[in-house]
Amino acid sequence: MVKPTTTSNARLAFRSEGFATLAEGLDYAAGGETGVNFFGPRGDLLRALSYAELRGLALDFAARLAATRLKRGDRVGIVAETGPDFLVAFFGCQYAGFVPVPLPLSINFGGREAYVERLRGMLLAAGARAAIASADLLGTLQEAARPTATAFVATVRDLMDGPCVGGGLAPLGAGDPCYIQYSSGSTSFPRGVLVTQSAIAANARAIAVDGIALRQGDRCTSWLPLYHDMGLVGCCLTPILNQISVDYLATTSFARRPFVWLKLLSDMGGTISFSPTFGYELCARRAENGQVPALDLGRWRVAGIGGEMIRANALQRFAETFAPLGFDPRAFLPSYGMAEATLAVTFAKRGRGVTIDRVARGEALERRKVAEPARTASAPIRDFVVCGRPMPGYAVEVRDAHDNPLPERHVGRVCIQGPSLMDGYFRNADATRAAITPDGWLDSGDLGYMMHGELVVTGRSKDLIILGGRNIWPQDLEWAVERLDRVRAGDVAAFAVTGEEDEERLVVLVECRTRDPLEQVTLRRAVQATVQRVAGAEATVVLVPVRSLTFTTSGKLSRATAKGHYESGLLRDVAEAYEAGTAVPVEAFAATA
Amino acid sequence: MTPTTNEDAIFEAVTGLLGRHRPAGAVVTPATELGADLNIDSVAAMDLIMEIEDHFEIDIPVNQVGDMRTVGDLAGLVRKEVAAKQG
Repeated sequence: MVKPTTTSNARLAFRSEGFATLAEGLDYAAGGETGVNFFGPRGDLLRALSYAELRGLALDFAARLAATRLKRGDRVGIVAETGPDFLVAFFGCQYAGFVPVPLPLSINFGGREAYVERLRGMLLAAGARAAIASADLLGTLQEAARPTATAFVATVRDLMDGPCVGGGLAPLGAGDPCYIQYSSGSTSFPRGVLVTQSAIAANARAIAVDGIALRQGDRCTSWLPLYHDMGLVGCCLTPILNQISVDYLATTSFARRPFVWLKLLSDMGGTISFSPTFGYELCARRAENGQVPALDLGRWRVAGIGGEMIRANALQRFAETFAPLGFDPRAFLPSYGMAEATLAVTFAKRGRGVTIDRVARGEALERRKVAEPARTASAPIRDFVVCGRPMPGYAVEVRDAHDNPLPERHVGRVCIQGPSLMDGYFRNADATRAAITPDGWLDSGDLGYMMHGELVVTGRSKDLIILGGRNIWPQDLEWAVERLDRVRAGDVAAFAVTGEEDEERLVVLVECRTRDPLEQVTLRRAVQATVQRVAGAEATVVLVPVRSLTFTTSGKLSRATAKGHYESGLLRDVAEAYEAGTAVPVEAFAATA
Repeated sequence: MTPTTNEDAIFEAVTGLLGRHRPAGAVVTPATELGADLNIDSVAAMDLIMEIEDHFEIDIPVNQVGDMRTVGDLAGLVRKEVAAKQG
């Protein structure tokens, strides 16, 4: 039987500071008994790997990589499945002097082609010279890599069976890059954040010391994907740089059986775990339709929240559902950050739980952009979750369109400074210029205001769609829909609208060139299918009259205008607009088709 | 059991598990598309896979989800996994 790694090291002193590189951090952690544990879909322990074993394998792998034609600094794409191989390859790159590029997994029905395109876009943008995946995904990755500069595509096992160099490894050093994070950008133009060794060292230290006060005896549990900043930095690299054991569940396993996450926390004595709001929501929803297992969640001291707009109601439901199992709502720890800052920027005060700022809706908030505290209970209100203060060394400034700082409670662009900000996107000067202000602050693309020095996020200024913690670039959806019959370039606008409980809903507007109701049904269905394939999400498809989408003077689609018109009711579905009430239900046709 | 009836049984069972994803009155055929016709998003897809796994006592390799477009594809994969389990 596999034995999990221990929670505390017997002799090795707990240490959060003084690691200049990831390799140094793993070298130190390898002096103890802690490590990583991988659990199967039903919560059975499949594999345990102490940090000492991980280091040994990574060094071995590094020696094999060094024996290939790769040159120092070359990028190596690695499909980030939750398992030992990803960590071995990732740290192998650190020891051998190559820059790993974690690549995503895809789980949409019928989404293979879209996935291949996405992988290819990333391999091209990163100029990857090698690509690594499990045997299961090797074929897909090979297909993606065909027209790219990759010298080889292999599994970890393939390389381990190959030749190796006798010694003389030169790990990535303090002044070197660490990895490239692709979590934003469209399929054709992915934007990779180049994370340096100094950025990861600074952010991991700040998270551990200032954010969650990691200490000996803590244990981390995670189902977050390792190709995402929250999963990689928050629940993998930070624990390693603090010699903390981690219990991993694959994201797909969590999505299938969310309670396994809670069971692991209970069984293994996890004290730290992070999730976007939707993870907590999924558990609460599953509890409504079924039996809640007998678990002990009393040791869970940091239930971190981040990755998407934090929704207080969903968290409240989670807290109420799991209070009988010992879950303490004060464990909730709202945070704010993004890949461009490596990961974290602000944390709420520990032990406080979720704090809500209740503001008045209406003229002040919508027109003057001022978040005034709600005074009467009867007037319309809007609740926002307070995301906390910037960590020491970091700064958040809310600015207007001309980069002037705004006073407290004024809504504007959230701009950031700190020791782990990216220098820029990898080989993408245009995107970098658009994200960094002339005076060197990062424009997060989010909107928010400050309240007593704490950040409150209210929405996004940029077009990025975030669904269930996943970033979806509207262009990807628009381009895919434009390729359909009867749809032309410039006919489509995709955006997210925010519902009453801050949940995001995807809306796709398509200019409709046919008046035939049957053809409209076919088109609607085709658009829905396309969105499912590309993004694995349900969309409200609205067929709008021709020429109702607006473009900027430079010919760019104005999604903000389209969204405004849709939300105000100015843009309506042709079926609804012409003959209200006679729209043909899609299902009726799908059934007879 | 002949292979044909076994095939039908698996298709029937998969269709049954599609239950709440199925619009009222909709007829599900092997050509019915999981995404387009049944509008199963990535979270619902995982739900469905769990139900199928529990029902047939198999493990569906997640990397194959991308190749599954229709109910027929899904039933085919289940058939393969069930056969593999029975050795």
